[in-house]
Amino acid sequence: MRASSYPFPTRRSLKIFAFDPMLGRVPLHRITIDVTHEQLRPGPMGSRLTILDYDGVRGRYYEPVNLDDPALLLQDGLDPTEADPRFHQQMVYAVAMKVIENFEVALGRRIHFYRRKPLLLLPHAFAGANAYYSSRRQAILFGYFSADAAKPGSNIPGQNVFSCLSQDIIAHEVTHAIVDRLRRFFKWPTNPDMLAFHEGFADIVAIFQHFSFPEILNHAIQETHGDLRRPTPLIELAAQFGQATGKGEALRTALDRPDAAASNNILEPHQRGSILVAAVFDGFFTTFQSRIQDLLRLASGGTGRLPEGYLHPDLVNRLAQEARATAQAVLRMCIRAFDYLPPVDVTFGDYLRALVTADYELNPDDRSGLRRNMVEAFRVRGIYPHGVRSLAEDSLLWERFDAGATCPDYVISELNNRLLSEAASSSRSSTRDQVAEEKLGRREEKTLNYLARELRKKAWESFDKLDLASPHTVRTNLVSMHPVFRIGQDGQLLVETVIQFVQERRRSKSSYGGVAMRGGSTVIAQADGRIRYVISKPLDSTDLRPEKAREGKEREMRFESFLRDFDCTDACQIWRDERYHQERLVRGLTLAMVDRRGAG
Amino acid sequence: MSDLITIRMYNTGFGDSFLLTFPADRPRKVLIDCGMHQFGPGPFPAGEVVDQILADVDEPDGPRIDIVVATHRHRDHVSGFEHKSWDKVRVAEVWMPWTEHPTDPEARSIRERQSSLAQRLCLAIQQLNLDAAERDYRFAFAQNNLSNAEAMTTLHEGFKDVKRRRFLPHKNGKRTAIQPACLPGVEIHALGPSRDPKVIRDMKPPEGESYLRVTAEDGRMLSQPSPFPASPGWTRGEFDALLKELDCQELLNGFSAKTAAGISSEGVVDEMAIATSLETAVNGTSLVLMFRMGKAHLLFPGDAQWGTWREILDDTECHPMLRRTSFYKVGHHGSHNATPPEFVETFLPKGALAMIPTRPMTRWPFIPKAALLTALTKYGVEFARSDEPPSAPSRFTCQERNGKTFSVTVEIPV
Ligand SMILES: [Zn+2]
Repeated sequence: MRASSYPFPTRRSLKIFAFDPMLGRVPLHRITIDVTHEQLRPGPMGSRLTILDYDGVRGRYYEPVNLDDPALLLQDGLDPTEADPRFHQQMVYAVAMKVIENFEVALGRRIHFYRRKPLLLLPHAFAGANAYYSSRRQAILFGYFSADAAKPGSNIPGQNVFSCLSQDIIAHEVTHAIVDRLRRFFKWPTNPDMLAFHEGFADIVAIFQHFSFPEILNHAIQETHGDLRRPTPLIELAAQFGQATGKGEALRTALDRPDAAASNNILEPHQRGSILVAAVFDGFFTTFQSRIQDLLRLASGGTGRLPEGYLHPDLVNRLAQEARATAQAVLRMCIRAFDYLPPVDVTFGDYLRALVTADYELNPDDRSGLRRNMVEAFRVRGIYPHGVRSLAEDSLLWERFDAGATCPDYVISELNNRLLSEAASSSRSSTRDQVAEEKLGRREEKTLNYLARELRKKAWESFDKLDLASPHTVRTNLVSMHPVFRIGQDGQLLVETVIQFVQERRRSKSSYGGVAMRGGSTVIAQADGRIRYVISKPLDSTDLRPEKAREGKEREMRFESFLRDFDCTDACQIWRDERYHQERLVRGLTLAMVDRRGAG
Repeated sequence: MSDLITIRMYNTGFGDSFLLTFPADRPRKVLIDCGMHQFGPGPFPAGEVVDQILADVDEPDGPRIDIVVATHRHRDHVSGFEHKSWDKVRVAEVWMPWTEHPTDPEARSIRERQSSLAQRLCLAIQQLNLDAAERDYRFAFAQNNLSNAEAMTTLHEGFKDVKRRRFLPHKNGKRTAIQPACLPGVEIHALGPSRDPKVIRDMKPPEGESYLRVTAEDGRMLSQPSPFPASPGWTRGEFDALLKELDCQELLNGFSAKTAAGISSEGVVDEMAIATSLETAVNGTSLVLMFRMGKAHLLFPGDAQWGTWREILDDTECHPMLRRTSFYKVGHHGSHNATPPEFVETFLPKGALAMIPTRPMTRWPFIPKAALLTALTKYGVEFARSDEPPSAPSRFTCQERNGKTFSVTVEIPV
């Protein structure tokens, strides 16, 4: 006889500091969040994340927290404290899972890291006022340090400050890791927007995650009287970090600096990225404002201007609800755009087009006006897509593919295989078998290589239609393949295939400081194989239509001028040897270096 | 009265020293920098160069310089001012970048940050377990950034009969020309260092002990207190045993002791990286001066870096004078980033003359940068180096001593 089992919980609640421990001293800022439940081993060690608390400064290991211990399950994990490394592990796990979840909900599919292995997070890896994502190690390394003795802000001089206790820094770095999974070539810069996109996007995810904490949001609305542009922790990033590193203010905010426009002179990736952040926040704010107009009129006897003083809690709740819903819509819109991005050489302008296209495919009539507001916010910041005549919606949408090519069945059927195996693996989620997962991960990789070989061998006639050079002249890879969803004309949900092709010009690395000249196309195909979109960055090749080859040539020239600008700012080249010189772009301008220099 | 400005560049190896003579009733003298790098001295002892400068500015009643300019506090620009002989030199004005202002809070915070980092860096390098040559090299590199106290004392307090010390550009009058009484007929624009907070940020190197290495050179951990008083943490062996007890040994799967060591050394920011950013930060404080007399436009940018240059090139008010540049002192010994390609290609006019105080260094193969020299030639700019005689025929004349270039001179028509 067997006793019946109980259903597993679907959510797990965990306590965290809402912002940084410095702000966390205000009780309001210690909050509980909930993430997808999965069975966890001590670490925590789950299917997507492994937290391993190796202190790289001291060469010591701290005891792992066991979140599945009944005592912790009953009280939503350990209480927030700076003094217990096991709470640090818990917080890193909780926030990182939340970020992954946000991506999964928006994209409608699971995020897997390299070969389905868990991403490694080291909460106390090094001495320093920042954290960084290392693609090579598939790990996020968090630093800790003594607060600056001379200018400690609100921190006690000499007190330890832990980057792993900053929700914003965790969210920022995990976003880097996910973006790197979705578009692995974005970390090698070929134009000034690329790392800025990585950084800005990571900040967007971190800031909009703030809106999912009801207590914080209500408080900010009460404080600002609904004007969410007024400075509050809600729209600031990593307040303690800014203070503790002597900056005297939050690291970055969602608001513009007065001189912010996408001019070519702002090259530092965080600074340039903050233009993107400000644009998205502006789009959010305008939409939020129009959504609350009726509430403001109701609450003000028709004038729309709220009286001075304390707002009625019911009003605050309603405003917060609107803010949260709008923020969620913005975050999803921003994430969904990924499926419509080219695989290489992305620009802010490409992102705008992807944003508009992705949203259009799911939400054609834009009833909330969010898409329109977003376009306007990008426009005022001088973000224009290359070669687009106007910023009307029709011209921003990626052009529909009409060259009549289709994806071979064996490619499309591979997607169906994947959907099935994914469904099967999700249903096993409560007791995941990591060994089986990793085997699956390796198999997926092999299939992609196999498909690329097949396409080449069978001399698929459509390469040039997809703006790809012949695979016989340049190295061609199929780097990913996954489903995307859209709403058909009859309101039906349709599943389509997104395939990323990347081509690399051989021996081009040394002439571009270690980054290869790459081209590629993101191809979106219907279930019957018919291709709907080709979002391409062509190489300069005689295999291509002349206008595409010219586009490739222009890209090469832009890459050269970007490298030249980089050289002007990279003073350390003076003191280095020939070898550094040949690899200067990959050694002098990496995500890790950018984050280590500029905190987060 | 001649209508030529004479510019004399002394060969101080990896260092700057320029004497300008402006035509007037009594020829007026401006000395811009006097230094040499510890690691790249010139063929002549510093004392010999200083003595020659004193001879060159000698007048019936003793040596006299109208303006002494120190572009920034690097040794390779100021070390020569350590010499005692400056006490007897009459100087009307001493000019330094605003970052040397004794009381300006922003200037002080920049200086303090730079020099405290330089000191700690020098200490840290001395403690490294390296072979002597490597240590000397790193030490000299870091030492270039030390506050050079004796030289700076001369500049701040020394010389004879100093009437005025200026720290430029002035806070609000950046674009107004200075017409010093001691330099009749000459107008000077101080174009840098920037006062823009964004650029100033580049002048502030990272601070905080945490940037310095916490492991010894051989990777051995120095004993650091645990950040968690109640949790000292476990060694690998102890941790293994703990995981066995918790039945979760797979936590260390794929994380070998070697990986751990890799993480530990990856976390360390090495001294040379810090020294490099400090070197750049101090260069960023360079005083940038444009001297105008008649049609002569002489540009001395010190070792200005990208931030300052960017600001100058973006300022359309500067464009007309940049386009008239008749003489250009090549920044930072001919490095690739101290002279923006845009300046050579778009602004520096054909027929302009340039001087490069430099010498080849095996350690630094990109000084001077070949592409820069090629570009100067391509855009019709004739240049002379301090370390070799100009190719004949040339507008430059060379003064040799013991078969080596001692100085190079050029005359610029007013
Ligand atoms: Zn970052």
